[in-house]
This record gives sequence, C-alpha cells and structure tokens, in this order.
Amino acid sequence: MGRQYSVPERLGAFGLAVGAAAAVWPALSAGAGLGLPCPLRWATGVPCPACGLTTAAVELVHGRVLASLGANPVLAGLALLTAVTVPLLALRHLGLVRPPRPWSPQARRRAEVTALVAAAASWVFQLHRFGLIPS
Amino acid sequence: MNYASWPVRVGAALVDAIPAVILSGLGYLIAGPSADDPTIGPLYYVFALLSLVYTVYNRWYLGGQGASLGKKALGVRLLKEQTGQPLGFGGAFVRDICHIVDTIICYIGYLFPLWDAKRQTLADKITGSLVVKA
Repeated sequence: MGRQYSVPERLGAFGLAVGAAAAVWPALSAGAGLGLPCPLRWATGVPCPACGLTTAAVELVHGRVLASLGANPVLAGLALLTAVTVPLLALRHLGLVRPPRPWSPQARRRAEVTALVAAAASWVFQLHRFGLIPS
Repeated sequence: MNYASWPVRVGAALVDAIPAVILSGLGYLIAGPSADDPTIGPLYYVFALLSLVYTVYNRWYLGGQGASLGKKALGVRLLKEQTGQPLGFGGAFVRDICHIVDTIICYIGYLFPLWDAKRQTLADKITGSLVVKA
C-alpha cells in the first residue's frame, strides 16, 4: 500500500491542479484583492527559491511562455512533468501500463540531490531577478 | 503504515477552515470597515474572538485528541509516530507553531507530503507526528 501513485505522478497531478488554479487566479485576485504573500520576502526582503511561481503559472496557462520562464523556469519543469505523467496516469487507469515500482534508495538519493541542485539554481536565478546578485 | 494522501489532508484543512472563515467573515460584514464608514464596531472583535475560540477548540483540543473536525470528516487521524497515540493539546499546539517553518519557505513545507516517504510536512517531522487513515 501507499505505492498506488508514484511521486512523479503525484507531482504531475498537482501540476494539473496548479494549472486550473492559475487559470482562475487573476480573476480571483483582482476581484477580491486576494494575494499570496511571500513570508520570507515580507520578513527579510530576500526572495526564496520558489519566488515567482504564482506569476509563472498564471503566465504559462495564458500562453505567455517567455514571461513565465522569466518569472520562474521551475514551473515549466512542473508543466513538462504534468504533460508526461497525466497521460501515463490515464493509461494506467485503463490497465495498459503496469503500476509504478518503488525506486531504489540510490535512485531516491539521486533525485533528492537533483532537486536540491535545482532549488539552489532557482534561488540564484531569483536573487538575480531581484537585483541582489549583480550581473 | 497507511499514510493519508496529500489531497485528503488539503481537504481536511479546508473543512477545518470553513467555520473560522464564516465567523470572521460575518464579523467583517456586520461591523467591519466599509467605504462610507471606516470605523470597526465591537461586534467585529466579538466574532474574531469566536473564530479564535473555535480554532483553539478544533485544532488543539480536538486535534490533540487525534482528529480535528476536518480530519474526522475526511477519515484521517493525527498521531505521534513513536507511540501511535494522539499528540495532546500541547503537542497539537506546538505542531501548529512549527507550521511557521512550512510557511517561511514559501509554503513548500505544506507540499512535502506529495513526495515524502512518510507523507510528513516539516512540522510533522519536527514534532514526530504522522497523519494516517483512520
């Protein structure tokens, strides 16, 4: 139990929900004055590695790819993951693809290191975007 | 262990939030500031206090006993990993304080159950708590 869905599949399905939320977000935030405050930037003025994800999601679902990449390229990665895993999930539910097998500890470790490196790269990108690292 | 999935936990959190949102929203509608009258009436604070009382009762009293209203509704329980017992009032309170860590990294801590092996948020890891199917 608990391996019904693999981690990439869960992230992919999450990406689908993000896409749906991003489609309605501008109308919601403009109408109700809602916003998603960044606690770290609010407290210290420094952006975190996830900075710009809301903007990037909204830009991408409205077809403005370059603006999305400029806000936070990580979101395009999530979109790619969604594009790959959601059809896979559909095929699996039709019984055409076998259930996911758990990753080996080494593969899990590699994925963790990759995620950390991506987060670090994203942080450098955001610090640069906010002018805290001069070009 | 039969860990609760992330969508179920989000659902439970939404159910938990409904009464608090209704209470504070009512106070805002009845006595909150408006364009023609920027003053805040005393009823606003009464409803804000009611919302707080609900939160204390729901999140820390009921949560400490193993399940807040939302977790009951979605059929999951909040337990200590070591003992399998509920956290108790203080434990549930400390866990909520630790949610600051989940929030300060731009809410990513709340996404941890999507990939974490034990489906824990960072607050769960710090306080050694698990959310499992009841």
